[in-house]
Amino acid sequence: MEGRPLDTEDDDQLVARAQRGEVHAYERLVRRHQDLAFRTAYLVTRSRSDAEDAAQEGFVKAWHALDRFRPGAPFRPWLLAIVANEARNRIRSARRQDSLALRAVEDRPSGDAAPSPEAAALASERRKTLLAAVNRLSESDREMLACRYFMELSEAETASVLGCRRGTVKSRTSRALGRLRAILAEQGIAQSLWPATEGVGGLKQRSDGPQSKEGGGE
Amino acid sequence: MSDRELEHALRDLGDHLDQPATPPLAEQVAARLREAPERRPVPSRRRLPGRWRWQRLAIAGLAAAVLAAAVLVLSPGTREAVADLLGLRGIRIQIGEPRPTSTTPPSTEAGGLGASLGLGRRTTLDEARRSVKFPVRLPTAAGFDRPDAVYVDPDQPADGRVDFVYRARPGLPASSYTEAGLLITQFRATVDLAYIKKLSGVSEVEFLRVNGGNAFWFSQPHELVFVDRHGSYQQERARLAGSTLIWEQGDVTYRLEGQISRDEAVRIAESMR
Repeated sequence: MEGRPLDTEDDDQLVARAQRGEVHAYERLVRRHQDLAFRTAYLVTRSRSDAEDAAQEGFVKAWHALDRFRPGAPFRPWLLAIVANEARNRIRSARRQDSLALRAVEDRPSGDAAPSPEAAALASERRKTLLAAVNRLSESDREMLACRYFMELSEAETASVLGCRRGTVKSRTSRALGRLRAILAEQGIAQSLWPATEGVGGLKQRSDGPQSKEGGGE
Repeated sequence: MSDRELEHALRDLGDHLDQPATPPLAEQVAARLREAPERRPVPSRRRLPGRWRWQRLAIAGLAAAVLAAAVLVLSPGTREAVADLLGLRGIRIQIGEPRPTSTTPPSTEAGGLGASLGLGRRTTLDEARRSVKFPVRLPTAAGFDRPDAVYVDPDQPADGRVDFVYRARPGLPASSYTEAGLLITQFRATVDLAYIKKLSGVSEVEFLRVNGGNAFWFSQPHELVFVDRHGSYQQERARLAGSTLIWEQGDVTYRLEGQISRDEAVRIAESMR
């Protein structure tokens, strides 16, 4: 045994081991992708139990289909397509269409410096405003934005999750953004909340500043 | 507000949305796999050019599949209309509920081997080849390169069909209905993958590859429904009440039915030349 430290293997290596029948390697692969798989299934089904069911079944089916998986191909889009398919099979006629909501309690990745109370309040206000606008969009616009921005799926992944063509993803995304922008403009808050240029906008700072969540990794 | 800013704000929002907590999927999945750890060996490990097409088909075709299933209870006129609507081209196979096949007793068949199977007209291999509009392939696997009986139906479905019947023998059990132990059918058709995918939730179907084409293994007998290129449905019984391997090669679909193992079925299928 080489005693590899946990999770230094990439997807390719884990897939290769899973293809040889190692359930343990596959379990790690599942753990790595389960959040996104579940969120994808939830986006499609809008039901916690259906999403759980779809994601679990999707992972099991993917295991059995691993032999058809081309080594070296990206695992995630392939998996998401299977999970989305399972989820679509479980769509009920009366799908819940509830609004999105913000988490009540903000959890912050450890290592992130706590922002000042003012900055935190401002950021939270912005999110509320943006969310209210998102919630006024149609279901299909919201789905598209959820795939592309909330879950940060690629265009190809989005296409397979929503069951449309890749070109459609591009055009529908841009239309959804346009409508979102119109709603924000209608509320007359676009300027004040998102200064067009180098303002104090926390959103802009967040991408390159020290509080960047993405940058705070490891 | 630039596009980039808006997009960035949306990503940030995504990080702060209230989501149901992810269930312990890794544990659940691992438990299920350990319960039934049997991995299915691959008949063919080739690159799958059609993989993405499959996925898209499966998703986009879901509504169509549901409709198509519903169509079966509609009038023939409506069926054609719906088939048109769905853009069904060529022939598709749908797999429905298993159904008891013939009630013929398993004694010697009047009219010769396979006569009770309703396969069309008994003929020779050469004549069968001349009668249909697609290349007829023959297994090269030992013991299967000379069918005991050949049947042809030049008209049904549209480009005709050819059946090879093999007499039951040691290692090739007779079906409960005839003396036949194995039946290989070929005809020009495409498989309605979306429907098979949907069915895979409720029925045991394995997705395999045979000679680089899509293949499906049904361990239980199934009734098939073809949709020909005019959109009309034709039922197709499970004739030997055995397991079935269906595979595609080019635009020809093959079906192998009998009480044999999956691996044996795949071996025979891959030997077809």
